[in-house]
Amino acid sequence: MKEIEKLLVLFSICEIANKKQEIIIEQLGELSVDQALNSNIILENLSTEEYQKVVKNYGKQNFESMLTNMENSGIEIVTIFSDKYPKSLIDLDDRPLILYAKGDMSLCTEKCFGVVGTRVPSNYGRIITERFAKNLAQSGLVIVSGLCYGIDAIAHKATLDVGGKTIAVIASGFNNIYPATNTNLADEIAKNGLILSEYPPSFKAKPYTFPRRNRIVAGLCNGILIPEAGLKSGTVYTKDFALDYGKDVFAIPGNIDSKTSELTNQLIRYGHAECVLASDDIIEFYGLNKISKEKNVQFVSLDEQTIINLLENGQQDFDFLHENSKIPVNILNSCLTTMEIRGLIRKLPGKMFALI
Amino acid sequence: MLSKVLSYGLCGIEGFLVTIETDMVGGIPHIDMVGLGDTAVKESKDRVKSAIRNSGFQFPIKHFTINLAPADTKKEGPHYELSMAVGILSASEQILNKKYKDFIFIGELSLDGTIKKVKGVLPILISARSAGFKKVIIPSDNCEEAKFIDGMEIYAVSNLRQVVMFLNDEIVLNKLETKSFEEVSRQDTNKLDFENVKGQAMAKRALEIAAAGGHNVLMIGPPGSGKSMLAKCFSGILPDLTFEEALQVTKIHSIAGELDLKKGIITERPFRTPHTTATVVSMTGGGNHSKPGEISLAHNGVLFLDEFPEYTRNLIETLRQPLEDGTITVARANQTVTYPSSFTLIASMNPCPCGNYGAKDRECRCTPAQIHKYLSKISGPIMDRIDIHVEVDNISYQDLNNETKEENSESIKARVDKARDIQLKRFKNTKTFSNAKMSVPQMKKFCKLSKECQELMEQAFSKLKLSARAHDRILRVARTIADLEGEIEILPRHIFEAISYRGLDRKYWD
Repeated sequence: MKEIEKLLVLFSICEIANKKQEIIIEQLGELSVDQALNSNIILENLSTEEYQKVVKNYGKQNFESMLTNMENSGIEIVTIFSDKYPKSLIDLDDRPLILYAKGDMSLCTEKCFGVVGTRVPSNYGRIITERFAKNLAQSGLVIVSGLCYGIDAIAHKATLDVGGKTIAVIASGFNNIYPATNTNLADEIAKNGLILSEYPPSFKAKPYTFPRRNRIVAGLCNGILIPEAGLKSGTVYTKDFALDYGKDVFAIPGNIDSKTSELTNQLIRYGHAECVLASDDIIEFYGLNKISKEKNVQFVSLDEQTIINLLENGQQDFDFLHENSKIPVNILNSCLTTMEIRGLIRKLPGKMFALI
Repeated sequence: MLSKVLSYGLCGIEGFLVTIETDMVGGIPHIDMVGLGDTAVKESKDRVKSAIRNSGFQFPIKHFTINLAPADTKKEGPHYELSMAVGILSASEQILNKKYKDFIFIGELSLDGTIKKVKGVLPILISARSAGFKKVIIPSDNCEEAKFIDGMEIYAVSNLRQVVMFLNDEIVLNKLETKSFEEVSRQDTNKLDFENVKGQAMAKRALEIAAAGGHNVLMIGPPGSGKSMLAKCFSGILPDLTFEEALQVTKIHSIAGELDLKKGIITERPFRTPHTTATVVSMTGGGNHSKPGEISLAHNGVLFLDEFPEYTRNLIETLRQPLEDGTITVARANQTVTYPSSFTLIASMNPCPCGNYGAKDRECRCTPAQIHKYLSKISGPIMDRIDIHVEVDNISYQDLNNETKEENSESIKARVDKARDIQLKRFKNTKTFSNAKMSVPQMKKFCKLSKECQELMEQAFSKLKLSARAHDRILRVARTIADLEGEIEILPRHIFEAISYRGLDRKYWD
């Protein structure tokens, strides 16, 4: 690791503002960390408090052992001086100078596509996010999202389910995954995809780190898709960054009365986002291969066909199915489970069922 | 003079023989009471004194020592007073016959000599009978519960004078006549009926399975969706209490002093609904007077915990032992008591703090973190012991006014009874009574899956991301579903239905 890269690690641990770091490394050139710490450039640009913090954290042995510790736990440090640093981020104005990575860094060179949205999706949001993420991943896009609750987690899970590649950009360090419930998901992504963070491992997520994380999501991707988001959602930031960086923004329309679709509907209304109705719209946009539509034709029983017919107009709850299909409860229950296992339908909270 | 009179004390739900020894000597007039009695026992001497005087007998001006043997066991309650009075009267030779030596006396005295009702008569009688005692004198207010005990000579008396005259052969008392259990249990009851519950087909079916196999149920749904109503109807489809079960239940209620004295025996399965503010001791039992708690009062019946996560964590965790073993052991400094507590747990909860998560017509305002925190208030080990999770949702106004006739509890109960019969045959000569309580070796024997079923089960686990702990629960419930249909083998459709009741194990819930 180059000396200047070590300095960046040191800065990121001490939470030095990105802009100050940019100014310092521009002036610094090839100095060792020790020399740098004694040079005027650093003294001039950092406040006394910050300087003391940096010096304190650079107790030589501790710092080196921390670096080896990180290496041992599979964390790779990628700075702007590294060849692995994503090309898509290099020219952004507020680029992250350092990225901590777990997983396959080469994914950043592939065609990345963001799927982001509300943390509290409706059942509609769940279904379409899953559907779009699966189809997009199968057509070869790398699905990027933020490993948060809701749409993020659904997009990651759906991608992993179909064996696709996914990148999670997190707003905290690796040892403090937020939300903690997604820790297992994070491990899975680290194995089959990539997790990125601009914060050192022990860093805890703070309110301001979420919007900052979103600029990396927007920066990495060729375009982003917003399946469902409300006006107060953090997705607003991702959308703004994406528009700033000149990326493509896609949105899926929702019910005009639904609070969780307010943002997407407005984006479409004002022409800020491309309206998409099917994953093929995006696949065509990027000129990718459509996934073959032939679903393996499944044999369905009479009861199952009745249920499929009833679900054709959207999600329905158990009581509706029971009343309209005239199938006895016990048979209906086992029928629905079978169909779920065979991947025909999906069960949602509130004993709702929907076709996949 | 020295006299020895027999009485009975209670430890938990078992009675133990207490001998009241009374010694009358000359000296300064005084009553010494020894033998580890509580305050009620200590105060007895004043009541006994007045009762004897006011019944027209003499209270000798002598020194009395009254000993309650065995001396090392704590004795509680005022029901030794009748035997003390008899002891004093025979020590002072006002009762001449030695007939009293065959009797066990139970009763509290009033100052005017009236004998008042006491708690725990039924368990005392049952213990005394099995210890070989034949003759008992009890307060007449407690006579109803004693009528179900046969093979004993039980006399119900209402005042001290009556007892003394009976012992002196001056009057004749009639033995208490026994009553048959069937006679009482057939009386009509006004339980809530499932035919009054519109819609909710899934919940009804789940409760039917729960009743048939003795499974615990968790109902999840927004407020006002009828969870409590469903739970109240549940006791109406449970199989009738057998006499042995009824005796057990009555014993516990008798000790707690919760028995309807006019009826004397409990003929319906108890339905207990402790409030969310219940303390741990009120649930488990114990305390100074080692009273049985709510979970024991629910023995052989239903314990309904509405708004499950609102109970303190501590309290929910205390349910672990009773849910596993069907008993609760309460250890206190003076004594350790085991109460039976084999009940069906019906718990209900909202899916999130505001209650509307997943509801059709209302919007949930909770953050994901709140929802997660709320759901995780119920720990894994407790969740492990609940076989059936079922979602309940509001029904629409149209459904409410729907004229279609719903199935009534009676016909559901008929199916439940059939399934229970199959289980009784299956578990003959074992300690298990229902599918829900099957041990692991029993499960291996009775829940054998065909190869086809095993494959399907594997598929279901990987596709639906079920947690491993769900496996045994699913098998038990599938067994019950098969029993309901009268099938000997567990078929795929039984397994699939059982899986559909494992909502909270599924990952779709986050």
